Amino acid sequence: MTTTIILLLLVFGVYLVAVLEAWISSGRFRLTTPILSGIALLGRESIVPRKPDRIFFEVAPVLLLLSAVLAATVIPLMPGLIITDLATGALFINAALVYVLVAMLMAGWGPDGAYAMVGGWRFLGQLIAYAMLIVMPITAVVMRAESLLTTQIVVSQDGLWNIFYQPLGFVLFFIAAMALAFLPPFDLPTATGELAGGVEAEYSGVRLAVFRLGRLTLIITLASATVVFYLGGWQGPWLPPWAWSGIKILAVTVTMLLAGRLMPRISETDLLAWCWKLGIPLALLNIFLVGILVLVIP
Amino acid sequence: MISGARLGKLSGLRRLVATAISRDLTTFVIPGPDIARAHGLDLAAAGLQIVASPRHASVLLVVGDIPLALHDAATVIYAQMVRPRALFILGTEIFSSLPDADIMSRLSQDGLIDGVQQLRTAFAEGAFRLDVADFDAPALQIRIEYTCSMHPEIALNEPGSCPKCGMTLIIRETQASTGRAHTKQKNVDVSVDEQMATGNEHNAHHHMSDAAKVEFTCPMHPEVVQDAPGSCPRCGMNLEPRETKTEHTHDHSQMNHDAAVQYTCPMHPEVVQDGPGSCPRCGMNLEPREITESETNEHSGMDHDSTDHSDMDHGDMAFMSMIDVTKNLPRSTDGLPMEWTEAPFGPFFPGLPGGLMLTLTLDGDTVADSKTQPLFENKELLPQVSPDIVNFIQQITRFGPLSPVAFQLLACQALENAAGLEISANVASARIGALEQERIANHLGWLALFAQQTGFNWLQRRAASLQLKFCLADMQQIATLAADIQSLIKRLGKTPLLKSRTVGIGKLASDSNLRGPVARASGVANDVRSTDKNYIALGFEAVSQTQGDAYARLQVRLAEIIHSLKLIQVSGAIERPTPADTGEISATGEASVETPRGMAHLELTLQKGQVIAARLETPSTYHLDLIKPLTEQQALADALVAIGSLDLSPWEVQSREIQT
Amino acid sequence: MDSLEQYGLLLGILIGTIGFVLSLFALASAIGKTRKESAKDVPATAGQLTRDPAWVRYHARYYGYALLFLSFDMEMAYMYPWAVVYKQVGVVALLDMGVFLAILFLGLLYGWSQGALRRQ
Repeated sequence: MTTTIILLLLVFGVYLVAVLEAWISSGRFRLTTPILSGIALLGRESIVPRKPDRIFFEVAPVLLLLSAVLAATVIPLMPGLIITDLATGALFINAALVYVLVAMLMAGWGPDGAYAMVGGWRFLGQLIAYAMLIVMPITAVVMRAESLLTTQIVVSQDGLWNIFYQPLGFVLFFIAAMALAFLPPFDLPTATGELAGGVEAEYSGVRLAVFRLGRLTLIITLASATVVFYLGGWQGPWLPPWAWSGIKILAVTVTMLLAGRLMPRISETDLLAWCWKLGIPLALLNIFLVGILVLVIP
Repeated sequence: MISGARLGKLSGLRRLVATAISRDLTTFVIPGPDIARAHGLDLAAAGLQIVASPRHASVLLVVGDIPLALHDAATVIYAQMVRPRALFILGTEIFSSLPDADIMSRLSQDGLIDGVQQLRTAFAEGAFRLDVADFDAPALQIRIEYTCSMHPEIALNEPGSCPKCGMTLIIRETQASTGRAHTKQKNVDVSVDEQMATGNEHNAHHHMSDAAKVEFTCPMHPEVVQDAPGSCPRCGMNLEPRETKTEHTHDHSQMNHDAAVQYTCPMHPEVVQDGPGSCPRCGMNLEPREITESETNEHSGMDHDSTDHSDMDHGDMAFMSMIDVTKNLPRSTDGLPMEWTEAPFGPFFPGLPGGLMLTLTLDGDTVADSKTQPLFENKELLPQVSPDIVNFIQQITRFGPLSPVAFQLLACQALENAAGLEISANVASARIGALEQERIANHLGWLALFAQQTGFNWLQRRAASLQLKFCLADMQQIATLAADIQSLIKRLGKTPLLKSRTVGIGKLASDSNLRGPVARASGVANDVRSTDKNYIALGFEAVSQTQGDAYARLQVRLAEIIHSLKLIQVSGAIERPTPADTGEISATGEASVETPRGMAHLELTLQKGQVIAARLETPSTYHLDLIKPLTEQQALADALVAIGSLDLSPWEVQSREIQT
Repeated sequence: MDSLEQYGLLLGILIGTIGFVLSLFALASAIGKTRKESAKDVPATAGQLTRDPAWVRYHARYYGYALLFLSFDMEMAYMYPWAVVYKQVGVVALLDMGVFLAILFLGLLYGWSQGALRRQ
């Protein structure tokens, strides 16, 4: 029962992200755009490039969708409304999200095309850097909650949300989440201007629909993860818990989508340099600071 | 009805799909959205969504004139689109290699909107048909032939064995129309022992067959060199042909082009590099050594394509270590031997100027080499001129689809110069108003293209909408738009990451051959307007920067926009140049105009009021040659920013043989 | 529910998602099959047909970063259980892990000084 509810909510969330993204990138707010483009994609032909790596080419979009859906299964929307409250929830999110890397690399290699190849390999460099930046702040959050259970993590933020307790960790996690979901300004694998669509370019028809669906699910999952880890999940006065969850996830999604509009794509050199030279030391510092805070504050 | 429909009966689910497709018109624009904007077309307002790849598009929109050189590319793009697909032509372009246009309309915003209406009905009713024919064209043909990996000159039509060495022949695809040959990989099982790097054919091998002097060498033992075919005395393999060093064409080999000297380690002679450094085995400094012919084996099929070659029967071959395997691969700047691929980045690449025929050789995601091709084969831009003055002016204007007013002014001024006519100050300043208006529109269009290339969504939309409004604005509207433009420029100054994407990229030293904003950003004060008395009367000041990188060019263009706004305000009127009546004279005349890209120069000869000869010089011709040095060893993103910052117009480039 | 049931549910969701995707594929092929035409399946590269294969030894320039990633990834694997029991164990835990992190950090600094942390 809870599974069905959450999956339906996930579908609704994906639809919302699609509407928001279309609104932000074209300035028009139309509720029917994602549905129409989804049906149109189903109706177009789906071409398989000549001499592809067939397994990689077919599996990549599905794997992207799968990893996002599996990561969403440990997100609590309300006390009790979670698909699987795994004892290793926080770790499982990371484990599921790593398959995004595998999926994008497969998508880059599979079609045997020049642009896709460059896009896929660039994403590998991006993701191994920012996966570190996701894991380290999660560790700091877990230190405060003393548990990997995502519900416990939300409960531990009672009174003071992690965004105030560990602001450095929040900033790093937010940026890393945007980089993981390859949202602008981190959209190196699917750069329209530099790679003519990159990894996405060789997909068409229903496979492109699955790929885009996977990407949208990834965005909403990462936004929900940010809310659970840093913004206190369902906590808040007056409104019921599910409403708070919804509002917070919406707010985080809108911020993630808007942030990229306002600047050009970051260059690969800067992307990796800033992560390893600035981001990782700051994340280690964050762990250290939280370690002290956890011991000092009862 | 559309010719690119899918097979099926239009009922039930398919009808729903057809309606959805008709409301979700994804479009691929040829030659590019920048040309569409220059014609004043607002595609988003008409309901078309521009996409980056033909695979995502249902509509192929053709805007304006397409030169013959691009017809093949248009055919390829159409063939790569998914069905249901429609061809939507604005203007009167006739393609011999594409099917008839499904929708044709006038080249204007109204024409576009009408056409989109018709397109929607066409898709809703014709996306699925019961009789569908395949689309084929000569440009898409391939010819299969069989070749020997060791002897690429053999090409037979049936499989069998190589007459020279007896190996099984492998399949090779050749593009039938142009004769470029590529090797198709037969099996993917590669073992290190079989890496021969000789089975691949690419353009370089054609040079081989054209070369007069050919030697035969053993791929395993490059020091064995003979003048006639035979077998290697060391291992018994058949010798394969190779050009001598003097006739090498280094299309895709090492980046160090002064390859006369190579560096090697005294302890490990197999370590060979083009630049100085230290030996990866023992750390000693490499010493220079002249190349001897036996060591430059970079020709034999090096390359970028393929790791695998035929399944050769080499029972007697010795084990090949990684050094041998990678000996002939080109080396990158960090000394690693990697394979390079050639990827086309033109002519219809989103983010680069439409029509630019560019091919980049990529080493990973670094550009190792680049090749450009001009659109017009003729050495002169104007081999024949139309005698009638009006047609002549139209002919000149076609060289600048992005800046027609500037070229029109050029033609008019040249005619007036030939006839000795003086233009009144009012008319001159109104003409200046029009030219500066176009300059602003052009620079805004360049900003939109730059924003599309760097994924800067806000700037792209804002600059594109301002450009479209500016093109058609009168004096009052310009005054209101001026405030918007000012705030855009101010906001650009505060954009994070913009500097890091442009500073230090595409650096050009001062060179007197540079033109336009590119020259002014490098400190070369080339500006026709600074010596024009009409401009001086309006208070013209030239802008300049000294760094010569992409950021400086951006700054120069922004500053020019501000100055042009002031000039328009002072001039007070805008009027497009119209030719004066020259009468039946015979004379020669010339003129120079500062187009938004630089100085363009026109000389013409009149006889009895008819034009009999003319010569046109444009700024983009020299700038096209700058692509190669600017993109050498740059990351792909930086290389594309550098190319974009040159603001090329491929329509005005003449073949490089004649340079003035 | 106990963890076996949970993982069973996850497996069910996995299979369900794959089933959903397959049903989308079935729907799309019910609408129509892809027509094979010449040059349609060549990877789309801006208007020029390229038949050169793209599967080459790709020169990834970030290999310095990738090597460093290995060590930090191993570190993160150790940090998860440590973070769970951290508050219980107290200052000792901070010191223990602090030493480990400091050594790895020194490794990062060393790599930085040797030029590993740049585009190669």
